[in-house]
Amino acid sequence: MVAKGAHQHERVDDVVVVAGLRSPMAKAGGAFDRLTAVELGVQVIREVLARSPVRATDINQVIIGNVIQPAEAANIARVIALNAGIPIAVPAHTVHRNCASGMQAITDAAEKIQAGRADVVLVAGVESMTHAPLLFHDHFRAAMAKLPKAGRLSKKLSVFVELAKAPWKPRIALLEGLHDSTVGLGMGQTAENLAREFSISRQEQDIFALQSHQRAHAAWQDGWFDDEVMPLFAPPSYNAVHRDEGIREKQSTQALGKLKPVFDRPLGTVTAGNSSQITDGAAVLILASRVRAEAEDWPIMGYLHDWSYTGCDPARMGLGPVHATQKLLSQQGLHCSDMSRVEINEAFAAQVLACLKAMDSAKFAKDNFGLAQATGAPAIDSINVHGGAVALGHPVGMSGARLVLTLLGQLKKDTDGGLGLATLCVGGGQGAALLLGSERWKR
Amino acid sequence: METLRLIREGELARLCFDRSDKRVNVIDACCMSQLETQLEVLESDPPETLVLQSDKAGCFIAGADLGLIASITDAVEATGLAERGQSLCRRIEVLPSLSVALVQGSCMGGGLELALACDYIVAVEDEKTELALPEIKIGIHPGFGGCVRLPKRVGWMKAVEMILSGSSVDAHTAKRIGLAALSCKIEQQDQAIAWLINKGKVRQRPLRPWWLKLWPAKALFFQQVEKRACARLKYLDVERAYPAVPAVIALLKEVVGMPDGLALAREAESLGKLVVTPTSKNLIRVFYLGEALKKQDAVRRGRPAVAGFKKIAVYGAGTMGSGIAWLASKTMDVDLHEVASQPLARGMKAMSRLANRRGRSDHQRLSRIRPVLDSSGLDHADVVIEAVLEDIRLKRALWTDVAQHVSREALLLSNTSSLSISDMQAGQADADRIAGMHFFNPVPKMPLVEVVAGHGTTADTMDKTCALAASWGKYPIIVADRPGFLVNRCLMPFMVSAFKLLEAGQKPEHVDGTLNSFGMPMGAVELADRVGLDICLHVGEHLGRALGESKQGLFVMPDWFRLMVDDGLLGEKSGKGFFVYEKGRRGARNAQLAEYLPGISTAEHESDADLGESTSVMAKAEIIDSCLLPMLLEALACLSENVVEQPEHLDAAFIYGMGFPPFRGGVLRYFSSFDTGELESRMVALGYTVPDNITVLHGFR
Repeated sequence: MVAKGAHQHERVDDVVVVAGLRSPMAKAGGAFDRLTAVELGVQVIREVLARSPVRATDINQVIIGNVIQPAEAANIARVIALNAGIPIAVPAHTVHRNCASGMQAITDAAEKIQAGRADVVLVAGVESMTHAPLLFHDHFRAAMAKLPKAGRLSKKLSVFVELAKAPWKPRIALLEGLHDSTVGLGMGQTAENLAREFSISRQEQDIFALQSHQRAHAAWQDGWFDDEVMPLFAPPSYNAVHRDEGIREKQSTQALGKLKPVFDRPLGTVTAGNSSQITDGAAVLILASRVRAEAEDWPIMGYLHDWSYTGCDPARMGLGPVHATQKLLSQQGLHCSDMSRVEINEAFAAQVLACLKAMDSAKFAKDNFGLAQATGAPAIDSINVHGGAVALGHPVGMSGARLVLTLLGQLKKDTDGGLGLATLCVGGGQGAALLLGSERWKR
Repeated sequence: METLRLIREGELARLCFDRSDKRVNVIDACCMSQLETQLEVLESDPPETLVLQSDKAGCFIAGADLGLIASITDAVEATGLAERGQSLCRRIEVLPSLSVALVQGSCMGGGLELALACDYIVAVEDEKTELALPEIKIGIHPGFGGCVRLPKRVGWMKAVEMILSGSSVDAHTAKRIGLAALSCKIEQQDQAIAWLINKGKVRQRPLRPWWLKLWPAKALFFQQVEKRACARLKYLDVERAYPAVPAVIALLKEVVGMPDGLALAREAESLGKLVVTPTSKNLIRVFYLGEALKKQDAVRRGRPAVAGFKKIAVYGAGTMGSGIAWLASKTMDVDLHEVASQPLARGMKAMSRLANRRGRSDHQRLSRIRPVLDSSGLDHADVVIEAVLEDIRLKRALWTDVAQHVSREALLLSNTSSLSISDMQAGQADADRIAGMHFFNPVPKMPLVEVVAGHGTTADTMDKTCALAASWGKYPIIVADRPGFLVNRCLMPFMVSAFKLLEAGQKPEHVDGTLNSFGMPMGAVELADRVGLDICLHVGEHLGRALGESKQGLFVMPDWFRLMVDDGLLGEKSGKGFFVYEKGRRGARNAQLAEYLPGISTAEHESDADLGESTSVMAKAEIIDSCLLPMLLEALACLSENVVEQPEHLDAAFIYGMGFPPFRGGVLRYFSSFDTGELESRMVALGYTVPDNITVLHGFR
């Protein structure tokens, strides 16, 4: 058990990742048009279990992050687990922290392993934004609910009249999900807030977006993603999809410059080109205690050291990573410069750039954390080295898990070890951050 | 020997069917006389409630005894049997007691007719519960009142569908369509009976649908029925091939709205005529042959091991590989391996089409199939089946590679149709687990599987392979490791002879049409197109070489055939062969054919035709002889070489693997109907030598 006393984050048992894989990310309405979130999750889990020495019978729990939570798959984690052939005795539950749901699944699993409540946990982030439903207005629903109770014809007629008067226009769940009702702002509008606050120009955002595409394209060309991403055979044609569909290899600043702002017309700076893409995908990891992994001789992809979640102003939710990172790194006495690689989810180019400026701002550090100096931003060459959500896509429930997966790959293949930081902003005003490394934690 | 007991529990009487000599309850003479005795007892002292039930697990009453039906040779005797059964049902129907048939397990044919005689049927929800009237499958129709009582229960639409297809319904569906008054769980049986007692005896059952007796509804309805029923048999003379189909349609049409007594008499009369048809005898025989294959000792011995199999790896996502993967997904998780993603995508697409055919997409079953481009997942596989290119080096390399990853107990099976299993085993360390498991195209439909042992194959491996085939609903037949095994070997002479006819000037449509009307699902010429002319050429040469000089004439394709292949006319896969193909449909004859077969005149106009030149059209009987006698001779050769142990299995193989018309009983059975001397002279006339073992045919009469 965790020993209380010296340092509140002393671990008794290290948490390691022993397997990880993701599906390609396809544009909403694109290659995975016919695949539901359940099917995506099932395919990736089956593939991971086939490739890894871990067997389905070794798994103690399944935790899956998913935002849309389809109505026909209540507790999607359980539905996915059963369909993927995981024994019925293994419990499963679903977690939701908006864009950080995938990371939430990982940290919940890690906490259970640390607490000794589980030894091996299968975690995933899955999302099919294509299948976000269309909904009826609440008045329509209320009128419909009266229908079975209406016995006599006269009663039925009055219910039909009520139905006719109720609004028929469908509500688009996808748009409603990306809108924060507590402050009345869409996610894009919070990005515009940050663009103005931190004076981030349209050109800066477009250049950042271009860089994301170029980095992603180069990584795929080099075959860097070949073992992180499985080829998926998607109906109806069952052609193998391997590459992430959203990458535009011929992207240019001129083309980006031609786009009109989407969230604040006509004077805004955030466009479809410098925002993350609406995508479908699934990422799966298998976590275990280090002791168990070593006993079974499972390959260790990396160690999860620490994590943090923070709350911030919902109207400027994009700054979540700054808060979460500050809390996490100060806990461990580290700085961004100690990180070999950093993955910041590119919800919007403006949002990432704002975070970097905030990290470098002494005033921001003083106003928010009471610190004398700026917290310090990571070097641009260590951030999102193989592209980010602007080029690859942001299936909201998946991204948290994907960032961790890709970071583990980078520490192994690119930097020959070291520490990694994954961090996301969360709609509703939160930040999430996770610290991982290639070796056991040494103090 | 006791077939049933009558137990009285106060006001409730139970007729418990439980034969002491068989595993299932069947209605034979003994059962009927015991039932008659008990009915007398019941009629003299009728109880308040009568329950018909079975004490046999998994079976209510499986139907009339097939052996009894098969043994009747006189139509009057058959009618008498039907009338006896009808009277039993009538007596149950008119009993003043409230009668309930408590159905758990299989309730088929005569058993369902007995249940229909009761006031109510209670269907117990159990995986073995199925209700059906499958008599059409053995060339007859229900004769114990099923044609009269079923329409009253489920309506004429559903009744006609059930009787014509012979398909079964489970407990839940039975309740839904009105066949069962209730469906209940096993623990609820007594409650169900109590509920029905409360409901009371049933009143008159009206005609459903009420409008059917109005003109022109009945005529139109049965017109549609006839069209749909004969659609798939339109190339045959249905009256002679499957007389039960038109007979039962005529009977049902006649019986709508007719008073019971008259209707039952008609039913018995119609049945009598059908029982004695050769089709019925042949279909019953074919059924027994299939059952014999499913119940082989090898299957029984291998079943326990196979029950524990969880995963299979299939190599090759072509037509056969994807069919095998789909079949296997019935009981196991499947890894479908291929070398490149394009062929893998094609295989997945083919399977998704099979999945969608059920009406609603069989997603769960499809999600058990994992497309794989590497060797992952092999260490968990219980069985590996390969359906890759027919190249011995490729297959040996595959086995060597697979053996490195796969467990010590995994079966290694090959779908090869032309290579020797012993050859494949050469140099392999795990030869004991290598065997041949040869499926037929299309895999989901053709029930036969040839199971082949090589030199090193152990009996244990053979048992498990047979049991595996049986677990998927297939009929395994053990054949020797000879070239072409059994079915393909006999199919080649059939095809080569057809081509010789074309060479002699017969038109391909005529040849194929004759074979179709004989009953073959596909004529020899179209079959060659579908399989692929290049494959036919290759296989023919291979078998001809392997089987020896004397067989050259029977197997090797003529030169003009080779020319067609060289020029790229490969059949369906290239769009053109003997016929033109578009989207899988056969079109007109390929106009270029005249270049290779000058004997076939394609003259369309009278003025072009030269009276002296055109070849006379060959009689149908001659065509059939020319094509089928070589098949028979090859079959007899296989028997003399012990390719297959028992001659009966040969007939089963031809029907279930090649589509030889079941109503003819099989190739040996068909030819046994001719006088041997006449047969021999026909063989000699065509230039073949009469084999020594032709006397085998005597045993098939």
